[in-house]
Amino acid sequence: MTEARLVTDARPAAARLIGDEPLIRLVDVTVAYPNGKEALINVDLEIRRSDFIFLVGPSGAGKSTLIRLLIREQVATTGRVYLAGRDLARVSRSQVHRLRRRIGVVFQDFRLLPNKTVRENVAFALEVTGAPLAEIRRRVPRLLALVGLEDQAQQLPAQLSGGEQQRAAIARALVHDPAILIADEPTGNLDPVTGWEIVQLLLEINALGTTLVVATHNQEIVTALRRRVVALEQGRMVRDELGAAYRRG
Amino acid sequence: MGFLRFLGFTLVRAGQGFWRNKMMSLAATATVILMLVLLSGLVIVLGGLNSGLAYIESKVGVTARLVDGLAPEAVDQLVADVVALPGVASVEYVSPDEAMRRLEQAYADRGQTLETGGSEISLYASIEVGLTDPAAATAVSAALGERPEIERITTIQEQYDKLLGVTNVVRLAGLSAMILVGLTVVFMIVNTIRIAVFSRSREIEIMRLVGASDAFIRWPFIMEGMLCGLLGATVTVLLVAVVWGPIQPLLIEIFQMPTAVGAQFFTFVAVLILSVGLVVGMLGSWISVRAHLATGV
Repeated sequence: MTEARLVTDARPAAARLIGDEPLIRLVDVTVAYPNGKEALINVDLEIRRSDFIFLVGPSGAGKSTLIRLLIREQVATTGRVYLAGRDLARVSRSQVHRLRRRIGVVFQDFRLLPNKTVRENVAFALEVTGAPLAEIRRRVPRLLALVGLEDQAQQLPAQLSGGEQQRAAIARALVHDPAILIADEPTGNLDPVTGWEIVQLLLEINALGTTLVVATHNQEIVTALRRRVVALEQGRMVRDELGAAYRRG
Repeated sequence: MGFLRFLGFTLVRAGQGFWRNKMMSLAATATVILMLVLLSGLVIVLGGLNSGLAYIESKVGVTARLVDGLAPEAVDQLVADVVALPGVASVEYVSPDEAMRRLEQAYADRGQTLETGGSEISLYASIEVGLTDPAAATAVSAALGERPEIERITTIQEQYDKLLGVTNVVRLAGLSAMILVGLTVVFMIVNTIRIAVFSRSREIEIMRLVGASDAFIRWPFIMEGMLCGLLGATVTVLLVAVVWGPIQPLLIEIFQMPTAVGAQFFTFVAVLILSVGLVVGMLGSWISVRAHLATGV
């Protein structure tokens, strides 16, 4: 049942993207701050449609900067960042919001609105983009079913476990049927079992065509899944390996 | 349909914001009321003074006392010559008898009788020159001054200038006060909206992440400022409506003219108050949103 919903939710977004074009391409990207500190240095990276990537590295390695580049919170000082062939530096400020509807983001701290129920949190993401009421009524229950939160729809975030809150955040991140889902330490605040459940959900979403970029410190999960691992250290990309384990240094 | 959804969203969010931040919102609304009450008072006083000016302007003319014993033919000639002067609308000859009749009428209007103590008094004859343009008064006076039939020239230009001076002072002082209070109001609204922006920073962050456009993020706050302005303006209009009846006799007594009172003038004041309230509310919140709601690179 869940599988069928995932197919209808995830495929069309992926299908919109150009066939062989990498979904994301970073070309010699450097991000330097006014104080001279470089957060990313000469990074080249290609992420193809339906990839599942772990972004690893110690704190301050540049993972968050890379994520900010992808969601166009920041632009590269030099080099180019492309999403589906489109140079993000050339996306005008007035068009950034359209770009962000193609990218879902979840965070370690969930970032749910505490005074809204789970259903309202997910619906809010559609309301603020002017989605018709009929679409909100149609999509929200499907997304809650996708993440397994139908029964918690009327509960406030404070009434949920950490794992359930992260599921709600994932449902919200998927409201616009994004081509890519970026998860910044999605298991960071969760116990190991719940962390695995969230990763399992992310894998399901990826299996249906959504590209996943997961920034994490969770060695156990990275090593166990043996997916593509991109490692950053002091702003430089030091490793880009398929089927890799987590490795320090 | 899309616009209606946007409008509905914006209005609901603005109302929620106003209510959640009610202490600051009400304080801002109170300053709006203070400003608009001042504005109403100023507009009413200036309306009265302007109508007084307009009345005097319509009456400004030149009155010339004629030498005694002037022959009727000479008077006719004088009237014909003066009518031909540029800027002259009308010339009326006021005989000594007519002048006396007017004096008696003026006494009668005040409920008194003119007492001459038994002696026969005689007033002087004059001509009253009506002007098409008050600015022509000086030239007409000069032309009349050269005529031997004229004893002395009087005008009410001086009175007009005096009232114009008073009006200008009131206008200047009122506008200065308005600007100061207006700045205070804008400052209050800027702060109110700033607090609203900070208290909803999490929501704003989420809105950005999920792809809400700038309009969806900014307009609820601008609308919230407009709500403060509109609420303040509505209260002020109600206050003015309540005192409008009782102050009418006072206005008529002070200004002697009906122009500054009446339903039409009230409508003008009400529309002005509502417009200024809305504009000030919008301006304050727009400044705040610009300063405190940068929406990314």
